[in-house]
Amino acid sequence: MINLQPYENPQYFIYLLVALLPLVIGLYFGKRYKWYEAAISLLFLFFIFDADKWKQGVTLIAYIIYQFAVTFAYQHYRQKTGKANKTWIFCTFVVLAILPLAAVKIWPVVPHKAGIDIGFLGISYLTFKTVQVVMELRDGTIKKVDPITYMRFLLFFPTISSGPIDRYRRFAKDCDKAPEREAYIKDLGLAVKYLFQGFLYKFILGWLFGTYWLPYLEAQAIIAGKGMPLHLSWWVLGVMYCYSMYLFFDFAGYSLFAVSISYFMGIHTPMNFNKPFAAHNIKEFWNRWHMTLSFWFRDFIFMRFTFFAMKKRLIKNRVRLSQIAYIVNFMVMAVWHGITWYYMVYGLYHAFAIIINDIWLRYKKKHKLVKHNKFTEAVAIFVTFNVVCLSFLIFSGFLDNLWFNVPLGK
Amino acid sequence: MKNKTKLWLIFGPIICAALLLIGIFSLPWERTFSKGSLYQAAASQTKTVFKGKDMRQKAYKLGYVPFYGSSELSRFDNMHPTVLATKYRRGYMPFLLGAAGSQSLAQYQGMQDAPSKKAVMVISPQWFTQEGQDPAAFSLYYSPLHVTDFILNAQDTEADRYAARRFLKMDCVKSNHVLSHALFEIAAGLELPKTERYYLLWRRRMYSNEDRFFTSFQLRDRLPKIEQQGKSLPDKYSYKGLLKVSNQEAKRNTRGNPFGIRTGFYRKRLNPKLLKRLKGSQKKFNYVQSPEFSDLELVLNQFSKDKTQVLFVIPPVNAKWRKYTGLSQKMYEKSVNKIKHELISQGFDNIYDLSQMGGKKHFMEDTIHLGWNGWLYMDQAVKAFMKQKYVKPTYALNDYFFTEDWRNTKTVPKVALTNKQVLANLKK
Repeated sequence: MINLQPYENPQYFIYLLVALLPLVIGLYFGKRYKWYEAAISLLFLFFIFDADKWKQGVTLIAYIIYQFAVTFAYQHYRQKTGKANKTWIFCTFVVLAILPLAAVKIWPVVPHKAGIDIGFLGISYLTFKTVQVVMELRDGTIKKVDPITYMRFLLFFPTISSGPIDRYRRFAKDCDKAPEREAYIKDLGLAVKYLFQGFLYKFILGWLFGTYWLPYLEAQAIIAGKGMPLHLSWWVLGVMYCYSMYLFFDFAGYSLFAVSISYFMGIHTPMNFNKPFAAHNIKEFWNRWHMTLSFWFRDFIFMRFTFFAMKKRLIKNRVRLSQIAYIVNFMVMAVWHGITWYYMVYGLYHAFAIIINDIWLRYKKKHKLVKHNKFTEAVAIFVTFNVVCLSFLIFSGFLDNLWFNVPLGK
Repeated sequence: MKNKTKLWLIFGPIICAALLLIGIFSLPWERTFSKGSLYQAAASQTKTVFKGKDMRQKAYKLGYVPFYGSSELSRFDNMHPTVLATKYRRGYMPFLLGAAGSQSLAQYQGMQDAPSKKAVMVISPQWFTQEGQDPAAFSLYYSPLHVTDFILNAQDTEADRYAARRFLKMDCVKSNHVLSHALFEIAAGLELPKTERYYLLWRRRMYSNEDRFFTSFQLRDRLPKIEQQGKSLPDKYSYKGLLKVSNQEAKRNTRGNPFGIRTGFYRKRLNPKLLKRLKGSQKKFNYVQSPEFSDLELVLNQFSKDKTQVLFVIPPVNAKWRKYTGLSQKMYEKSVNKIKHELISQGFDNIYDLSQMGGKKHFMEDTIHLGWNGWLYMDQAVKAFMKQKYVKPTYALNDYFFTEDWRNTKTVPKVALTNKQVLANLKK
């Protein structure tokens, strides 16, 4: 049985590009063959979820039906009188939309029979999309969701497993028309560029850091940590930088593939990374790292919480308010990553990093302490980079392994 | 700029690069390896060497002899076969194949199209578990080149059909659509269609070129370590002299633990928490019924096909460790006897059975791996075996060993063969 996991090896790209060729030619000549697009989308989805992954496939189908029911029930409610917009109903629907994902996240920490898993590849990213639509229906920025477009939006296979997270309105703008020829040729140029940048990132650099060096560094860190306070040795520093590089190149490479394939299909899926390690403070870092996720959290967690708290006058002090909002924002993100101590610490760490950064910025502004120049910029980038790498060390779970697990060697 | 030019500027370079790459890898290249890099490859135990073919083939022609085994091969103390062969400039040099996790099926895969006149194989009874070759471990040794070789050489025999079925149990093989398709055909006893055959021939050429170009880039240079180990040995070979050095070295390295094993291993691998957990944990271990018995038969088939003379070595478990973990010596001997029966009944007589020597001092380097005196003891047989003139062997293979019945059987006639007899035979 053929099973193809997205972007797992060079072979996948050959199959994919051959399958996309008619679509590309069509778009070049100003035609979008929607039936063909639907057919290959379903085919590639099928190959992700077939063979021994069939249970995931069935779950996906059930999940889609469920989310359709939630979204369209809410849309029906919103359209009923044109004015119906009760907060508790909105909250109920958001909860309903999040429910399956929440169950999947809680599942590992509740006792259950081994080998029974719920969920499927990409459930997080689908949930981001559906929650976003419910929220925008409430705001009225989306008036009507077209079922076919919604289906195509949710099941857009280049991004189904790990994003980037597109927005419904943006997607709907692209997905029905064929781009102008000039513009499409430009897209193709970018698509090819991103594809090869992705190869370099994921299959060469990501492999070097993640497969070639990281296991060695981790093993050395575990050995050298014996008998040291907190099992720490200089090797841990190596693990930290190596893992950070691996995380970036692996994920950025993956995201580039998704964007590239989208461009081939005439869809402008947003970019996910913009030189994150060149950020000069932690806030800017989050505008450059996993951007579609952090913007999603900014729009639908941070802003929502801030407005809600302001409206209800929960917190008067604006500074305090944004600080609380950061903590809420990053803790939700932490829970989404998974319910483990190191994700929680990672969330708190970033929340406090941003809070401290804000305090520093205000202090600097007030006292006009330092003048901006190339040197201070370099120091800022250096500090930010190291703060971020330390957070990734926590995120990696390696410390959990180092401190609490007995490494079993053969 | 015209649109066509723009398109060409985007896609032209890719098309050219792809054509160039395919072209280069489709040509029948030849190359030589320096003596130094062959020596490095033989001692390095890297996965790429294991998965490759060119270096194996060329080394065998220069007097290298494959030493098939698993994790014990990486116990590089001063009595390691490679150290002894290097120090005393023997007429052969071990080509180490295998490391932790490589069992019969992985070895069989690697033996495709790489025949040798002689071979040493260390068979660990620990391979013979209920599951046999672990698919995750196999994936470390999986080589599309070797599997393609297997497919192209396969015939409609019980052995090849069984091998195809076994390969298909390994996830890494299954994920290659072309190879798994061909394996299904072999398993079903069908002939490969011509186009598929041509395609595979072409793929094999590409895999071979990959091996040819790149394998020698990732070698591990153990020569300094080997020479360092060799320094402590007497300049002229003498068993007594070596035994003395071996005991000295072992004594120095096995302090501070109740099992008489290498201090480093004890400290790194066996912390108190783990030790507590392992106490009595192996009481129910069973090495008597396993798919490994049929996988071993594949290896024997290959030896027979290649007319290879083989010396088999069966190592023991460290006796103190065995008592600590509760592993049953009776079960262990039963497993060893079953292995020996399979070998002897088909004409593989050179079996050096060390399975009862786990209690000898400094025999084991750690829990289940030969070291110092163990290596030296084994060297007696290896030395005699290598000196023996090569005569084309005749084996009497029996397909019964591919059956479920054999894999599950517990009753095997007792094999009567002493190491003394084996040694005498070798020295004949």
